[in-house]
Amino acid sequence: MPVSEPMLGARDIHRHFEGMHAVDGVSIEVMPGRITGLIGPNGAGKSTFMAVLAGTLPASSGSIVFQGEDITRLPAYQRARRGLVRTFQLPSEFGQLTVLENLLVAAPDNRGESLLGALLGKRYWMPDEMRLVEQARGLLKRFGMSAKESDYAASLSGGQKRLVEIMRALMLRPRLLLLDEPMSGVHPSIVNEIAGYLEQLRDDGLTLLMVEHELHMVERLCDPVVVMAEGKVIGRGSMAALRQEREVVDAYLVG
Amino acid sequence: MNSYYLVNLLIFAGVDIIACLALNLQFGVSGVVNFSFIIFQAAGAYAAAILSMPPDTAPDFSFQTYVGGYQLAFPLPWIGGALAGALLAVPVGLVALRKLRSDYQAIALLVTSIIANTVINNARPLLNGAAGVANVPQPLSDQLNVSIQTYQFLYVGVTAICVAIVWFLAARIVNSPYGRTLRAMRENETAVAALGKNPTALKMTIFIVGGAIAGLSGAILVGFLQVWAPSTWLYPETIILFAAVIVGGRGNNVGAILGALLVPLGFEEVTRLLGRMNIGPPTLIPALEWVCIGLLILGFLWFRPKGVVPEQRRVFPGAPAVEEETRWVVGKGAR
Repeated sequence: MPVSEPMLGARDIHRHFEGMHAVDGVSIEVMPGRITGLIGPNGAGKSTFMAVLAGTLPASSGSIVFQGEDITRLPAYQRARRGLVRTFQLPSEFGQLTVLENLLVAAPDNRGESLLGALLGKRYWMPDEMRLVEQARGLLKRFGMSAKESDYAASLSGGQKRLVEIMRALMLRPRLLLLDEPMSGVHPSIVNEIAGYLEQLRDDGLTLLMVEHELHMVERLCDPVVVMAEGKVIGRGSMAALRQEREVVDAYLVG
Repeated sequence: MNSYYLVNLLIFAGVDIIACLALNLQFGVSGVVNFSFIIFQAAGAYAAAILSMPPDTAPDFSFQTYVGGYQLAFPLPWIGGALAGALLAVPVGLVALRKLRSDYQAIALLVTSIIANTVINNARPLLNGAAGVANVPQPLSDQLNVSIQTYQFLYVGVTAICVAIVWFLAARIVNSPYGRTLRAMRENETAVAALGKNPTALKMTIFIVGGAIAGLSGAILVGFLQVWAPSTWLYPETIILFAAVIVGGRGNNVGAILGALLVPLGFEEVTRLLGRMNIGPPTLIPALEWVCIGLLILGFLWFRPKGVVPEQRRVFPGAPAVEEETRWVVGKGAR
């Protein structure tokens, strides 16, 4: 794919809740190999927009094209299978599953994951399972979570839960990762660590779109940055350039 | 204790175990709060009855009215019972499980159970209404030339084989990657969809599988009791099975079996024994039974939400050791 082609293009997305325009005509393009930032004050519609992109919420109107395919009408699970994978603003770990199991659930190609495959027994699916355990352990090692493998995800700290969510998404081998406030609820000492992992992922060629409130992290990681307020895009560009724009500063960057 | 009493106890134990294993797959493992569970057992029982009975014009049967009457040989009525449970799960699941949020799903299913019972109770031409079907032939009782006692023990044996088969299948499901996805759906349905799984398909499948198993349990029961009427499958019967799965341990097949033995069977027996003692008016003991079931559910959800035998932690070969104090998180993480 030529670099100039956006990985994801959303055009004129609207999302209404009983007359309330949470997302009011937002268009963005996400270019491959970059971390695109999405910022804005509380209630700007960022999370709603992310949910519409991922298919968790249907769009009221507008169109979404992912890797050249119109995915506007596809349900969330089919978008995920195409490589568009999201994480959640609130921790969404599978609490009563272990950390390793959380990762294994996300793996797309396990023969034991159908009813028939399950009934055929261990001998049928164990080779897949062992391959995926190895893959998952590779991720755990990379993210420094190997020691937590058999812990219930519910018992983890906020930062560790974030890492589990990111690793879980990576098990799908996504093309575009949508991160909804990956640093929120995370101890400050771990914020830097997570930022480092995200930079690594970008350098590996993964494309990211990220909602974040920690502006110094946005400045470090994201280019370009899109600013939303009251359901609309009010600015876009590099963080340094945005700091110069009056409207953006008024809406959000004061202080 | 005479042998009929023992046989009765064993058959009910088998039927309750099968039912609890099915409900555990739906509620304990997958988080589908199937408050209409008992109608699938009923569907299996009615199906097995009309598949094994002669038409309602036959002598000895003409005091009742019902559809069908096919006189099929064993095991066809039992297979038909399981199929009936599975088939019923399709329309009920499509209505209740697709668009509604899980709490509303539970309400919709409860209402379905009440509607189904009311309809069957009042539409007499269908399945003989409130009086129910009677004289249901016992499987192979004409072909087997054995004493009643021997027949009863054979029946226990066949029931035990069914329990073993259902347990085997349930274990394969729960312990597989498929079962893991079901457990993940129970923990967070939206997140499962975001990871490329289709929650509606997962729920429908386990609803149909559970329906089939529930249908089989009904077929076994009706073949033994030889009668089946709306009063045997009122919606509170589902609550008893829920109590069993909660007490035994949600998500754990051993827990489901234990719960089946403790709650439906245990309560039935205790009530029966207390009933003999002539305490208070005759309705007192059955009423107290319901109070106890309610307190049992509340007590466990409050103090031991994971049940007597909690769901097991899955540790993979080669995993780093889990710290001792966190190995069993019993009583924590109430949801």
